[in-house]
Amino acid sequence: ADRVRWQMAMSFPSTLKALADTAPWVAEQIHTMSGGTMTLQVFEPGTLVKGTEVFDAVSQGKIDSGYVWAGYEFGKLPVSPLFGGQPFGLTPWQMSAFMLEKGGQEMMEEIYAPHNIMPIFCGVVSAEAAGWFSFPLEGLDEVDGLRIRFAGMGGQVLQKMGAEVTVLPASELFEALEKGVIDATEFSMPTVDEQLGFYKVVKYYHLPGWHQQSTSQYLYVNLDKWNGLDETQQGILRTACTAGVAKSMARAEGLQGAVLNKFTDELGVEAVTLPDEILRELKITTDEVMAEYSEKDADFARVWEAMTAFQDENRQWAEKGYLPAGWMSRVDGE
Amino acid sequence: MDETPAYSESAFNDDGTGPDGLPAEHRMLPRTRISNAIDRFIMRIGNAASWIWVVLIAGIFTNVTMRYVFGRATVWLEELQLYFYAIGFIIGLSYAITWNRHVRVDALADRWSARTRAWIELLGMVFLLLPFAIAITTEAVPYLMTSIQLNEASSSPGGLPYTWILKSFIVWGFVLIILAALSRLLRCTALLFDRPRPL
Amino acid sequence: MFEYEIIVICLLLTFMGLIFTGFPLAWVLGGVSFMYLTVSLVLLNVFNIDTYFLDDWNDFAIIVDRIWAQMQNWVLVALPMFIFMGLMLDRSGVADKLMANFTKLFRGLRGGLALTVIVIGVLLAASTGIVGASVVLLSMLALPPMMEARYSKTLAAGVVASSGTLGILIPPSIMLVIMADQLSLPVGDLFMGAVFPGLILGVLYVSYVVIAAMVRPDMAPAPERAEEVTWWDVLGVVWSIVPPLLLILAVLGSIFAGIATPTEASGIGALGATVLAAANRRLNLEVLRRVCRETMLTTSFIFGIFLGATAFALVMRSLGGDEFIGGLLEGLPFPPWGVVAFILFIAFVAGFFLDWLEISLIILPLVAPVVEGLGFDLVWFTVLFATTLQTSFLTPPVGFSLFYLKGVAPPGITIGHIYKGVVPFVLLQITGIILVFEFEDLVLWLPEQMY
Ligand code: NA
Ligand code: NA
Repeated sequence: ADRVRWQMAMSFPSTLKALADTAPWVAEQIHTMSGGTMTLQVFEPGTLVKGTEVFDAVSQGKIDSGYVWAGYEFGKLPVSPLFGGQPFGLTPWQMSAFMLEKGGQEMMEEIYAPHNIMPIFCGVVSAEAAGWFSFPLEGLDEVDGLRIRFAGMGGQVLQKMGAEVTVLPASELFEALEKGVIDATEFSMPTVDEQLGFYKVVKYYHLPGWHQQSTSQYLYVNLDKWNGLDETQQGILRTACTAGVAKSMARAEGLQGAVLNKFTDELGVEAVTLPDEILRELKITTDEVMAEYSEKDADFARVWEAMTAFQDENRQWAEKGYLPAGWMSRVDGE
Repeated sequence: MDETPAYSESAFNDDGTGPDGLPAEHRMLPRTRISNAIDRFIMRIGNAASWIWVVLIAGIFTNVTMRYVFGRATVWLEELQLYFYAIGFIIGLSYAITWNRHVRVDALADRWSARTRAWIELLGMVFLLLPFAIAITTEAVPYLMTSIQLNEASSSPGGLPYTWILKSFIVWGFVLIILAALSRLLRCTALLFDRPRPL
Repeated sequence: MFEYEIIVICLLLTFMGLIFTGFPLAWVLGGVSFMYLTVSLVLLNVFNIDTYFLDDWNDFAIIVDRIWAQMQNWVLVALPMFIFMGLMLDRSGVADKLMANFTKLFRGLRGGLALTVIVIGVLLAASTGIVGASVVLLSMLALPPMMEARYSKTLAAGVVASSGTLGILIPPSIMLVIMADQLSLPVGDLFMGAVFPGLILGVLYVSYVVIAAMVRPDMAPAPERAEEVTWWDVLGVVWSIVPPLLLILAVLGSIFAGIATPTEASGIGALGATVLAAANRRLNLEVLRRVCRETMLTTSFIFGIFLGATAFALVMRSLGGDEFIGGLLEGLPFPPWGVVAFILFIAFVAGFFLDWLEISLIILPLVAPVVEGLGFDLVWFTVLFATTLQTSFLTPPVGFSLFYLKGVAPPGITIGHIYKGVVPFVLLQITGIILVFEFEDLVLWLPEQMY
């Protein structure tokens, strides 16, 4: 193609810091690198399709491309949330290694090809938090009957542990939490949670985000459109996306600390660390859920196996090569 | 005098239908045998589907009671409410055509003759409504087929399987819209060209 | 100007022309969209004219995904539920009694019925954000008694249409939820920020009705037999107000007690109205059948408009309509307040033709960074913007409240009456917007107190 002018539909509004503002940046790089011959026009969620429907629309060629979180297509492609972020899964740099160095990208291309989509790893951001609660979660028994809004596989894990999981739409979340229709909600990482103002209605912020240690986003390109590009143009998209991975990781890590400090120091939020007892049970149940999915879906099994294999291989290094979490507070005697 | 004979107010049944059991209006288009058959069909489906609002109320009440009184949340029940609501409005679109309830800006049209209005209705059906509805129906079929092929299910924990069932209602709804539009189209041609024969 | 921008202008003009043919609005919107798709494809393929993103049949196919999105929109479940509630109230005899008693009480007071409509409008607004439902409900309750009391049709139509529109601004409000999502602002701040602007509009409406009734007695005539108001009348009002009050309490109460979400509360309201009808011995299978059928028809004509509007917006957007409007806003030679005023002006004018959702989708993301960069508070601006868009429900020719009203009004009330009737209320809206513009604290004070 001589000139490329594509729609790029978003799954999150680009006003969300770190989570979604990499997309316009990537589009800009593409425009610059191509000397202005390639334009990916950002379309905010809802302007063309809802964020959750981008997969469908790109796959059927109704729109040319999208910058999205992998996982909304879970109902059609059960393996997809593994590429978006996994319970007890990979951290941002591990995910980058998996996708770029350990065959993740190739695996994903293979799986998405029958759906007429070329997915390109294009951004990864920090861990999510485990959610906003109206009370601190202290023991395993409190999980039973907990009314919590929790989407995705993490929700399934909690459901299995006896929590009453709902998937109230984001539009009703704030009021539901404020008025006590639900006890808690999972949402995103600190920057995004700050923008949405959950700290105004509930004060217990739970960490770590066991259900999603990193969140990855992709440039989905309609396969026919991708095949219509020449090598230079394909190279530009791949390079811009790899730059997007670096940019988003840097941006997300750069911002979270200050926001968490602001929560605890200025806004009266208590940062609650989930007790080991609960984390252990969550991990056990996660393994069960992942085994169930692996049994039902061959692609899921393949990808999850590759991910956990890399996680195991990397484990000794991650635990010994880096200073252990919390050592500084310990040494300081805090 | 080209005004079509219309039912007088007294001939309206109390529920807004005429003596033939079909929706009555003032200054009405003539009826034809085919259009009556179509209208009866749509009325039957619409009447049956209208009970869905009672079902929806029951669903919401059950969900609220379950959560508030028994502390139980059921994702599939939350989703089922969306099913009722969506089926209700999408089937209702054709029903509202048959009842002639879609809103018109008729400030000017009120002063025009029945023939002029019938011409506009005819042209509107042919150039606006029918192409639009046919285009959507045509596009909704592959959309539905993809969902069936992938055996699409809800992406929520504990959500409903077989999403295609609900997606199929886009097709049903718009097929009914096309039918309802054809019925009105025939009633316009009956007035303008005596084809098909007005009853 | 680009070629496709000329097509956008033609699209708008064609649409404007066609709605006055009297063909249903929903299908004009949908049909014109499809027509322009065809036209654009011909222009592109035959004359090689640049049609921006509208260059393939497939571009229109997104409409199916958008219909699906509407089918998955949980918040809109409240629409049929509140309509059901209104129809059931109407059938239960509760509404008749309420209106009859209010009429008795206000027989000495000019414009009393209109004032009742405004008060009930504000109460409804606090329990729902669904304008279609409020307008329909108020029309059914209030138009017949107002006609009977020989109110001017324009005043009656105007007061019902505008009072029903308050719901989109006064929380809970779907408009503010969507704006919060777009701009990543806290919903709670926007909700609290909109409370005073909403109430101020209510007060402005009240003042207008009171003054109009004094200056032009024929608009809201005093009843012929102006008997003294007795204590029995007051008691009658109190007694008749109990059931609907219980209902509003059930709706609002279930929200505030954390029993139900606002959407679920609409279902509780529908159930409550049914219970009231049963308590009045008015409920039977026939009544239920009729209410269900009428709910179906009313809900569907409203969704028909939604559907047409989404197609129209899609085609306009694909033709570069967003950038076209955005371009108008860029490089303005105004001082900061002038920029804000100009943005509001554009939103106001766009409101003549487009609905609030499309306008917010087009303009908000574009202007928010600009406004923030000029040093304004984004919560203030968003509430101001929302107040402007609330007005779009009332501005002819495409004012959704006007269409909803037209859809259920008695035959004597024409679209002409409705168009004329809203004019003074649109002026009141502008007054409200200016007040909020001048006094930032009207928006910002309450959120600061609450959180
Ligand atoms: Na409201
Ligand atoms: Na308007």
